[in-house]
Amino acid sequence: MPEIAPELPFTASDAESREKLLAKVKPVEAPRRELVTGDKDFHWVTEKVCGIPESKTPRWWWIMFCVAACMATFTLAGLTWLVSSGVGVWGLANPVNWGWAIVNFVFWIGIGHAGTLISAILCLLRQKWRVSINRAAEAMTIFAVVCAGIFPLFHVGRVWFAWWLFPLPNANWIWPQFRSPLEWDVFAVSTYGTVSVLFWYMGLIPDLGTMRDRALKAGKLIKAWAYGVFAMGWRQSNRHWRNYEMAYLLLAGLSTPLVLSVHTIVSFDFAASQLPGWHTTIFPPYFVAGAIFSGFGMVLTLMLPLRAVYGLHNLITQYHIDCMCKIILATGSMVGYAYMMEFFIAWYGANPYEGFAFINRALGQYAWSYYIMVGCNVISPHLFWFKAVRENTALVWIICGFVNVGMWFERFVITVTSLANDFLPSSWGYYSPTIVDIFTFFGTFGLFSVLFLLFVRFLPMMPMGEIKAVMKQGDAHGHGTGTQAVPHDVHGKGGHH
Amino acid sequence: MSSEAAVASVPAEAAASGGRKSPAILFLIIGIIGLAVALFGLVTGLENGSGRAGLSWLLGFSFWFAALVGMLFLVQLSYVFDAGWSTIIRRQMEHFLGAFPWLFLLLVPVIALPFFIGDNTGMVWKWLNLDNILPGIHPTRVGDDPLYLLKAAFLNQTSLFIGLGVSFVIFCGLSAALRKHSFTNDFQPDAKHYAACRRWSGAGLFLTPIGTTVMVMYLLMSLSYHWFSTMYGVWFFALSMRVALATMVITCFFLSTRGGLKGIFNQSHYYFLGCLCLAFTIFWAYISFSQFFLIYNANIPEETYWYNMRQLNADGTFNGWWWVGLSLVFFMFLFPFLFLLRYKSKVQVRSIVFICCWILFFAIVDLYFNIIPTQKAADNILGYNVTPVFSKYMIFDVAAIIGIGGIVIWAALRSMSKTYIIPIHDPRIRESISSVQ
Repeated sequence: MPEIAPELPFTASDAESREKLLAKVKPVEAPRRELVTGDKDFHWVTEKVCGIPESKTPRWWWIMFCVAACMATFTLAGLTWLVSSGVGVWGLANPVNWGWAIVNFVFWIGIGHAGTLISAILCLLRQKWRVSINRAAEAMTIFAVVCAGIFPLFHVGRVWFAWWLFPLPNANWIWPQFRSPLEWDVFAVSTYGTVSVLFWYMGLIPDLGTMRDRALKAGKLIKAWAYGVFAMGWRQSNRHWRNYEMAYLLLAGLSTPLVLSVHTIVSFDFAASQLPGWHTTIFPPYFVAGAIFSGFGMVLTLMLPLRAVYGLHNLITQYHIDCMCKIILATGSMVGYAYMMEFFIAWYGANPYEGFAFINRALGQYAWSYYIMVGCNVISPHLFWFKAVRENTALVWIICGFVNVGMWFERFVITVTSLANDFLPSSWGYYSPTIVDIFTFFGTFGLFSVLFLLFVRFLPMMPMGEIKAVMKQGDAHGHGTGTQAVPHDVHGKGGHH
Repeated sequence: MSSEAAVASVPAEAAASGGRKSPAILFLIIGIIGLAVALFGLVTGLENGSGRAGLSWLLGFSFWFAALVGMLFLVQLSYVFDAGWSTIIRRQMEHFLGAFPWLFLLLVPVIALPFFIGDNTGMVWKWLNLDNILPGIHPTRVGDDPLYLLKAAFLNQTSLFIGLGVSFVIFCGLSAALRKHSFTNDFQPDAKHYAACRRWSGAGLFLTPIGTTVMVMYLLMSLSYHWFSTMYGVWFFALSMRVALATMVITCFFLSTRGGLKGIFNQSHYYFLGCLCLAFTIFWAYISFSQFFLIYNANIPEETYWYNMRQLNADGTFNGWWWVGLSLVFFMFLFPFLFLLRYKSKVQVRSIVFICCWILFFAIVDLYFNIIPTQKAADNILGYNVTPVFSKYMIFDVAAIIGIGGIVIWAALRSMSKTYIIPIHDPRIRESISSVQ
């Protein structure tokens, strides 16, 4: 047997050869990118984040707010018209009895997914870059759920009976249909909304405490009182932080299955049926991937302008944009995979109705919407393979706009093309939205913007504590960077945990 | 340039590898014996017109294919996420990736032999022989089956070979590229190798699902070619991640107790691998349940028959596969899920190794559930009976798993003997060695 080199496999099993092997460990230089650039200190972070709600309201904010509020009135007008006249004012007619309402509902619910993904799943995956964007994304989630909720709430027509969606005991023994995925939506979305609000609010508490203390110091007593009420006596103590971090982790664990379950159940609205184009087993993960895809599209759509307006380049760095672009690329590819599988299995399944549904999508009366969907969701994200594109923020913003448009059209294609040309050619029709549909949907962008602008104006947009923890000053002993090669005795007992 | 060539070009320091060869040779011998038994079953089965032992071979292949595909995904994910903790584990997976060419070579017998032995009735994939008869109330020749004719553009020999060829290029090409850069960096340290691995991984994460789906559709889904599910490729991905993670835990356990990772592989590595095992246990259940539920709920006969075969006899009583299906619910999902929820299960070596062995066993059961049930002509209301769960052919199932596994492990150990047990110049190696929970 040849002499065994001590550093080679199966030979470092004794302490001496292990030391020799570890002595050879000399990593090449490939430093991780800084999450807060510009060699800033903790004080700068506090000033920057708190400075936004503390400063005088900028003119652009008022202009945007007024425009958004005006836009929101369109929803109000549409809903007033609907409630006063009945759901006949929507463009629904045989055979398309699900139109823009469900499309808009799924669109907005999907947008909301990025917030929870960033806060919960990326937290569990220890992706530190999430901290610069998680607060705004969580806020976006809540506002998107608010917008989404409007459509199922009002589609019942007599909205004052909407509470019948909940299984409340009543004299008439009228119960919801528990076997319907639409009923499951009621529970899934309401639970998701509740947990998202809790998660967002809990994350805000330390920063509200900071805002309270700063307001008090500045002599603004009403502000200090308002922030103080919501800060719930936060004192930045070690004990508070320890409880906070445990609660955060628990909520992250709770939110993770929720974020997956909500869009899975939304996908069941379609896939649990027998309708060609809807009944396909890949729908649950495909809808979840699509939701994350659209959610990140919206996060970038919102954060890039804020970054420019408030000069947040040191906090939302090119690295953050890169990461988000890559997630959009990955989830866009998953969505593309699902489109491909659906199309292939529609042919491979040899069911003529299923085959027709997909051929009809690509070549039928709604082919224009199909190609908008494919162009925006499958083709445009692939521009993110190129570094030059990811580094051009204007281009990133435009592509994210395409993603938002594409994901709305995806839901339109799924819903409308399958219904408009169903099993019976004599009943085929062409669905068009009415002005009420258009008003109601258009206005939700206003409502969403109003809520988001209020958030930006009055609350700290980023979690200061978490940002400070990922700065190099927050890692004085080098634990997070692995600058020391410290072998652990493993099997159980050792290490410097 | 292949990874072998990359290793060959490194300085004499590493070329003097030596390393202990005996474990590799031991596994080679085990592999050859296992393959010989499985081959015996395959040949005798074909001579008697039976494809059951071919299914055994396919079971063995699928299990190890799942392990390697899962490792390929994990290696690529590790690079794309720029993960620090997983660097030393990634290296072990890179060794396993060297087995891909051997694995593809081991697919040849089950595809090729039926063309030369027997009367072609023992084809594992009925559609490869158009004269095969499909059992049923009205037995039909495959070549006359209207459903086959509609799918014939995909289900034919030429397409099969193109599909397998493309998959071979994807898996072997990606593995070779990743191994080459990773191993070369040990001897010619340069950050460009790490950057190259990240680029390859980005492209690989785009290509690997395509290759996996093609393989799974040809090798597994087309066993019952009337049946279809858009989710099937995702199910295999979920399974492959579980198999790969469990294999890695056991591999690292051996390397850290009696191999080169002793004192390097630490508790936090077990913990992180355990967390991933838990995550993919949930993901596997999510995917498997979604597929079952949507087919059950829509109740379309073209889809439900696949599950009905695995539940009912012709007289409506439960068959043995019903219990196998239930075992998947309780033992492939529920038990590992509850077990892995507990923190200590992920850090106590005995616990995590136990549950990973458990997962591997039930992963084989899952593949068994997907591959083995086939229809045999019978005089009853359905016109067929389903292959029983237990049969004398199980010896060939075991032989194929051990035989193909022996070759895969031999290839991995062979790779390990040619370079360092940890990537000593990887930019994240220190983060991995000093990883904490």
